Amino acid sequence: MAMRTKRYALAIDAKKCIDCKACVVACRAENGVPLGKSRNWINEELRGDWPKLMEVFEPEQCHHCEAPACVRVCPTGASYQRADGVVAVNPSECVGCRYCMIACPYDARFFREDLGVVEKCDLCAHRLDRGELPACVETCPSKVRIFGDLNDPTSEIHQILEKRQYRLKKREAGTGPQIYYLL
Amino acid sequence: MKTIEWQYLIVSYLFLGGLSAGLYFVSALTELFRKDDDSAQEHIARLGALLASWPVMLGCTLLVFDLGHWYRAYKLFLHFRWESPMSIGSWLLMLFIGISLIYAYGWTSRDGREHFFGRLPRRLRFLGILNVDVAPWRRPLAIAGLPVSVGVAIYTGVLLGAVQSRPFWNTNLVAQLFLFSALSSGCALLILVLAMRSRKFEMYQFRSLYLLDVCFLTLEFFIVVPYFIHGELSVEAVRESLKLVLGGPFTMVFWVFLMGLGLVLPWAIEVREVVPLFLTHVQLLPRMGVATPSPAGASVSVVSELSALAPPANKLHFSRGWAVAAALLVLVGGVLVRYIFVFAGQMSAIR
Repeated sequence: MAMRTKRYALAIDAKKCIDCKACVVACRAENGVPLGKSRNWINEELRGDWPKLMEVFEPEQCHHCEAPACVRVCPTGASYQRADGVVAVNPSECVGCRYCMIACPYDARFFREDLGVVEKCDLCAHRLDRGELPACVETCPSKVRIFGDLNDPTSEIHQILEKRQYRLKKREAGTGPQIYYLL
Repeated sequence: MKTIEWQYLIVSYLFLGGLSAGLYFVSALTELFRKDDDSAQEHIARLGALLASWPVMLGCTLLVFDLGHWYRAYKLFLHFRWESPMSIGSWLLMLFIGISLIYAYGWTSRDGREHFFGRLPRRLRFLGILNVDVAPWRRPLAIAGLPVSVGVAIYTGVLLGAVQSRPFWNTNLVAQLFLFSALSSGCALLILVLAMRSRKFEMYQFRSLYLLDVCFLTLEFFIVVPYFIHGELSVEAVRESLKLVLGGPFTMVFWVFLMGLGLVLPWAIEVREVVPLFLTHVQLLPRMGVATPSPAGASVSVVSELSALAPPANKLHFSRGWAVAAALLVLVGGVLVRYIFVFAGQMSAIR
C-alpha cells in the first residue's frame, strides 16, 4: 500500500482507566448513538485469586485496521477506509446485510434497527476534519487515550510509541489493528 | 458487542440456494449423460430443470428481507467487488437464476407453451415472441449452467469461510461441505418427488440418483472427518471454536441429528437400496452395462422390457417408502448443516 501522508491511530494507556465511562457517554452524545448500542466500550477483567485481586479496565472501539476485514467483505463499498486510515461507513450505500459485523474480529460494529444500517466508531471523522480531537479522547479525565498521526514524528502518539512497549489485540486475525495498548 | 446477526432467514436462504444448485447440477448431469431413449433419465432431467429455479428465487427473497433496507437491494448490483464474497455471490445468483429459468423453459412442452401464450390478454400478446422452442439448447445450457450451479453451491460456504475472524468457518472445508450438502439435497428432493409422484416408473430406474447421492453423502462424511482432525491440530482459536460441537451447545444437534439422522442413516438406507445392483446377478438395464447382458439382447423398448426383466423383489429393494424416508432425512440434514454452521460460526471468535 502506498505510504499514507496521515495515519490516525490511538494509543491507550489502560492502566490509567478508572472505568468512569465518560468516553462512552461523550461518544453517545457526539454521535447520537441510541441507548443499548455503543461505538466504544470498556472491557473489565478480574484477575488473580482472593485476596490478591486486581480489576483491569481496558477501553476498546474500532481498531481502524490497516487491512480492515469489514471493508473487504462489504458488497457495496459502503464500508470504506479514508486516506488518513479511518474506517467509516457511508450510510446511504449500506444495505444492512451485516456481513461487516460478522467479519470484524473486534465486534466493533452494531446494527441500527431504526435506520437499517450498520454503525461504528469513525474516530469522530467530522471533528477530525475540523481539526478537533475525537470526543472520547477529548473527554477522558485520566488521559487514557492518546490520539494522533503516526506519520508525524512530532506527534505525541508517534513519540510515545517510540519509547513505550505496546500490545496489539488479535493480531493473528491479520487485519493490522491500529489501537496500541501501552504496557 | 457480540450478537447473532444472521439467523433463520439466512439459514433458509443458504439451504434453498444450495438446493437449487443441486437440482440444476443433477438435472444437467443427467441430461448430458443420459441415453436418448431413456425415458426415466429424461424424466429426472426434466423434473430437476423445472424445479431448480424456484427454491433459489424464494431464498433470494428471504435474503432481501433480511437486509436492513429491502428496497436498497438494488445497490448490490451497482457495484462489483471481487474481494467481497457477497458481491460475487449476488451476481452469481442472478446469473444462475437467469440460466436456470431458460433451461427450465427448454423443458416446457410445445402444447403447454401454446396454451399459455394463447390465453394471454390482448395487451400482452406481444409476449408471443417469447414462444420459442429452446429444447435444442438444453445441452449447451446444461454445460453452461453446470459451473454456475457449482459456483452457487460452493459460494455459500465461501461466504462463511472467507471471514478470518470466525475460526469455526475459516477453512476451505466449509465451502466443500456446503457444496456436497447442496448437491446431495438436490438429489434428495428429486428422489422424494419421484418416489411420491412418478408411478409410471419403478424406483430402480432412478438408481443413478441414489448412486449420486451416496457419492455426495460419502464425500460430505469425509469432509467432516478432516474438518475435525485439522481443527484439533490447528491454533487455539479453532480448537476453542470446535468445542461448540464437541461438548458445547451444538453437540447434540451436530452428532445425533446431523451426522446420525441427516447423514449416516440416509446413507445407509441408500446404500442398502443400491447394493443389490452390485452384489446380485441382476439383469437390469442391458444397455447401461450395469449387469449381465439381457437374454433378449440389447433392447430398445426399454420400459416394457425392463418390467419383464425386473428382478424379484427380494433381490432389489428400491421401495418408495425408504426412498421418501432417506430423502427427507437428507433434506433435514441439509438444513441442519446450515443452521449449525451459521449459528455456531457467529458464536466462535478469536479470543
